[in-house]
Amino acid sequence: MLLTTIFCLSAFLAVAGALLVTFSKNLIHACVYLLFCLVGVAGLYLTLNAEFLAATQLVVYVGGVVVLLLFAMMLTGGSSLNKVMSRFGLESTPLMGNWRTYLMGGVAAALLIAVLGNVLRNLSMGSSTVTEKSISSVEQIGVKLLTDHILAFEISSVLLLGALVGAAIISRPFRSSESEN
Amino acid sequence: MGIAPYIIVSSILFVCGIVVMIARKNIIGILLGIELILNAAALNFVSFTKFSNSNLDGQVFALFIILVAAAEAAVGLAIVIRFFQIRESIHIDSATQLQS
Repeated sequence: MLLTTIFCLSAFLAVAGALLVTFSKNLIHACVYLLFCLVGVAGLYLTLNAEFLAATQLVVYVGGVVVLLLFAMMLTGGSSLNKVMSRFGLESTPLMGNWRTYLMGGVAAALLIAVLGNVLRNLSMGSSTVTEKSISSVEQIGVKLLTDHILAFEISSVLLLGALVGAAIISRPFRSSESEN
Repeated sequence: MGIAPYIIVSSILFVCGIVVMIARKNIIGILLGIELILNAAALNFVSFTKFSNSNLDGQVFALFIILVAAAEAAVGLAIVIRFFQIRESIHIDSATQLQS
């Protein structure tokens, strides 16, 4: 009963957040709705016995990625630039899209829904036959990460280091390299 | 509760991400769509690892998905900020040539 309540709440948060991200007219609002969607997905992880993953989702996504996106929006002017001229003097599509881009998105969504509906048609709606294991999964995930997946773990640490150094180098101020050299 | 509700939620997230990626003309908006799609994939991994086989490989894979998404967001936003310094715009149609 409690599980069903948490699932319904989280699924509502996730789906409503995703739909609002899709149809919001303001980029900052879309980012805040993405935050609700990610919190909903973390709640879904909780109902799937993945507590460590839910905590990681909250810390990394909600605390890191969404804040990073908000900072990037504020550094690039946010949603204030609505009229955009292309290099040839023609007015191009507004930043948040107009009815034509949403029409193309709707066509793609219809195709995807057709394919997914065809694939998932005989998905059983019944209850699962999986026996519930009440062992905490955090310890098992830690053991698995440091034994079976140790190579991927180390490579991912190198990847994170490279990504951070690369981000710092790419986004440094424009004039500094020319004045120093 | 079976696997079907999770799959349906993850399908909705995926379709929303695709629509965002197509309909937006804003580079940061497209990054929002990418985050939605990565979340849908991770949700699929975790739900299948509970209902289909009960070793924890899917959860470990979802952890790596979150990690790669964080790295991708950092590098992508750095590129966006650099692009804004050069072109004064974050419209996707301004990004049509490699060399400024």
